[in-house]
Amino acid sequence: MEGVVGLLAQLGIPLGLILLGLIAGRAVERAHFSELRRREEEVAHMLVSDIRTFPGGVDTSLQPEMIISQAVIATDYLKSFLAGLRKILGGELTSYLSLMERARREALLRVLEEARAKGYDAVCNVRLDTADIGGAVAAKGVVMVAVVVSATGYKRSAEGALAA
Amino acid sequence: MIVVNTETVPGYRVVELKGIVQGNTVRAKHLGRDIAAGLKNLVGGELGGYTELLTEARRDALERMLAQAEQLGANAVINVRFSTSAVTQGAAEIYAYGTAAVLSPEG
Repeated sequence: MEGVVGLLAQLGIPLGLILLGLIAGRAVERAHFSELRRREEEVAHMLVSDIRTFPGGVDTSLQPEMIISQAVIATDYLKSFLAGLRKILGGELTSYLSLMERARREALLRVLEEARAKGYDAVCNVRLDTADIGGAVAAKGVVMVAVVVSATGYKRSAEGALAA
Repeated sequence: MIVVNTETVPGYRVVELKGIVQGNTVRAKHLGRDIAAGLKNLVGGELGGYTELLTEARRDALERMLAQAEQLGANAVINVRFSTSAVTQGAAEIYAYGTAAVLSPEG
């Protein structure tokens, strides 16, 4: 009897976590993506580039300024589990792709929103970096990703040329 | 498609910027390769399996970025940057990003 209970507990907890990932994880991700789309539309008019030379010219009435933002996103248990299986076979870990995408879009969006709030209509010299903060917990199957985005916000001048 | 990691292309001028385009991939090698790499660690030398992994990943990420640029109607991606991250043990992420642009020949 005790053996059966033990077995159920051993199997039940991971299964429960997978189910949680399947239902809650997916719902959270879907909500995040639709929120990202909505917010991205609000900043769609901004000129975003990783060029250093202020494409479009600078309206010097507003001092350009560096803006930094970050986002840290974790996967759900199901995704880590699927990725674990995939690692045995090799190939692309598709379940982590959406994780990276969410983190990057979120972090970049925060930069753009902050720039817009400060009155800028363009950002240049966008840099995206990842930080490994999962280290100790990665072994337990929890994968986190931290993305740091920096850019320079500026206001475009009316007659500025696109390139230097 | 002109792909450069400089901000300007000699002989061309930038007509229009289409914004940031990006591509990424997270890849892993099968368990056998991981074990082989572990053994290789004992004697040192190049980890062929992982070199291959990065080559494949870089190509995929770049292709995805170019597909995005094409979709936006750009004919060039300028100032391309690569970045990597360790998502989980034994897997690598390669991320490529740049500014999609429309270039036209000078003169």
